[in-house]
Amino acid sequence: MANEQLPQPPSTAATPHRPVVQEASIADMAHRWLHDLIGTLWSLLTDRPVSLYAASVLRIGYGLLYLVFLVREFPHRDEIWGPGSPWTPALAQQLFDQTGWNSILLLSDSRAYFELCYVMALLTSALFMLGWRTRAMSVLFAVVVTSFHARSIFMTDGGDNLILLMTLYLVLTACGRRWSLDARRERLRTARADNAPVPVRSFYAQQLQDARITLTTVVHNCGILVIAAQVCFLYGSAGLYKIQGPTWGGGTALHYALNLELFQPWPALSHLVDEYPMVIAIAGYLTVLLQVAFPFVLFGRLKYPVLTVLLGMHIGIAVLLGLPLFSGAMIVADAVFLPDRFYAFLPHLWRRATRRTGMRRPAPARAVGSASVPPQGRPVEPGSKHRAPAGQQGTAPG
Amino acid sequence: MRKTGWEVSSGIESADVKEFQASDSGPAPRECPDDVVRPGKPPMGVRTLKAGLYIAVALCLVTALVHVVLVFLHVAPANPVSKRYSSQVNGWVYPLFEQNWRLFAPDPDSFNRNILARTAHTDPKGSVQVTPWFDLAAVDHSAVDHNVFPSHTSQNLLRRAWTSYVETHGGSDTARSERAVMLQTYLRNIAADRIAAHNKGRAFEFIQLRVITLPVAAPGTAAGTRQPAPTEDRLLPWWKVTSHGK
Repeated sequence: MANEQLPQPPSTAATPHRPVVQEASIADMAHRWLHDLIGTLWSLLTDRPVSLYAASVLRIGYGLLYLVFLVREFPHRDEIWGPGSPWTPALAQQLFDQTGWNSILLLSDSRAYFELCYVMALLTSALFMLGWRTRAMSVLFAVVVTSFHARSIFMTDGGDNLILLMTLYLVLTACGRRWSLDARRERLRTARADNAPVPVRSFYAQQLQDARITLTTVVHNCGILVIAAQVCFLYGSAGLYKIQGPTWGGGTALHYALNLELFQPWPALSHLVDEYPMVIAIAGYLTVLLQVAFPFVLFGRLKYPVLTVLLGMHIGIAVLLGLPLFSGAMIVADAVFLPDRFYAFLPHLWRRATRRTGMRRPAPARAVGSASVPPQGRPVEPGSKHRAPAGQQGTAPG
Repeated sequence: MRKTGWEVSSGIESADVKEFQASDSGPAPRECPDDVVRPGKPPMGVRTLKAGLYIAVALCLVTALVHVVLVFLHVAPANPVSKRYSSQVNGWVYPLFEQNWRLFAPDPDSFNRNILARTAHTDPKGSVQVTPWFDLAAVDHSAVDHNVFPSHTSQNLLRRAWTSYVETHGGSDTARSERAVMLQTYLRNIAADRIAAHNKGRAFEFIQLRVITLPVAAPGTAAGTRQPAPTEDRLLPWWKVTSHGK
């Protein structure tokens, strides 16, 4: 964050005992400091949408997770969300009246309508993941996830809860600007428009357009802020609540977690791990420490090892406790903290890796053209004015 | 409303493309925000627009910050601040932003539950037949076994139905609130559905649940030497079932 102006307050605070002549300049300085602060905040908020790649990773991640979830539960769809569920439409409606939830699934009790909703949910998740007309799809996806969540509220767990929250927040973000069909369409359009004359706009239209872009940027940045804060609250509270439990303090918590039959898809593996109390204790302590420390390590380089360990932890939870949806949701949420330069670097890494293994020896030109790399990954043509700033955006720190 | 110099006239497609172009290049091409305070007075319309923009931006930021604070108060344990503003917090957070991250916290469960059910059927001659106990949770346990991606119907359905039932009922089995009645119906439906799927259409009019809570042995106790004694064996009353087995 660019807060070079911030170190000023000590100077104002140190001056009160000076002669009266200084009063004016103190007020002046305070005023200038405030002005600078607002300026910094303003540019931070409005200059550019931050973490565009991360937002896109969240879009792809949650779209894919929900799609996989819906496909996985296809055989159980009626039992979870359908008119044949033990949580009957009448019960759900009664609960909605008490809690204020709502769901498109309750608009009709007919089986055909439910199947239609299911197909629509599958389609929406897929299109959202691909980033087709992303803003509209994000709204539709939020409606779908909210509806399905509300309908089966007593069958949800932390993973569903996180997916719902992120889905709602993603509506605010510009999550379709990278690695999406929208981005591809835009790239092709710009390529076509490059030799066409730049259209002239009226003064007011230009102003309105600028204002709209600024507002979109601000809403996006606020969305990312809220997402980041949400993930911090999640880890922070999960960690702090664990600290209160004697089993976490005693290093035996994971022993109990590993012996819950509902969270024991591979009993032999669980028992094997359970035979090493040292491992159990260390893993338990590490879990709590990382969760509590999480909000504090995000602003330094320490976040990379921490995120890596968390990734390993979530994979462990997915396999050992049989909670892949929950773990997936957490892993995707963690991805919001990786900066754009990290994601922009991935395609290079990928290309280098493929070149080394000799998988894609010929036709490097085609590889560049067809890779799902956004425009800023490519060299900028000297004549194109549109791309220069986009290139800087992509590589700027997030 | 927006008059532009664009030559295109076809509706949605062009509008969308325009939006995208504009947004992808970002606001970067504009001059710095300090061109706003430039002395030469811009026309009235532009000034109104700028004022509106400032207000909108401030509103966005304030909303985001308020949201973050309220969610924090919702997630944090009850404290003087969250108690003082509980109506605001609840009004904002419920229902959409409700959350609870006490997963395996403060302690993971240290027990497994067996939820058993049996049914009763009065035959035409008037004699009552009661079936033996059928373990509903065992169905879940075997469904989770060796499954890479266990279904919510095995991991969450019965488990959460029972914990929610206990939350609303406590130790007694008489429903004292509307929510308790709802959860009793839910639990009864789950049990009746599972029994019906299990016994292949045999009729029944009454159903009874029995919940046995088995503790997970403390670490260090050699497996098999001590069969854990149930910490709770709760027998629920017979419930009338209307829609099953007819």
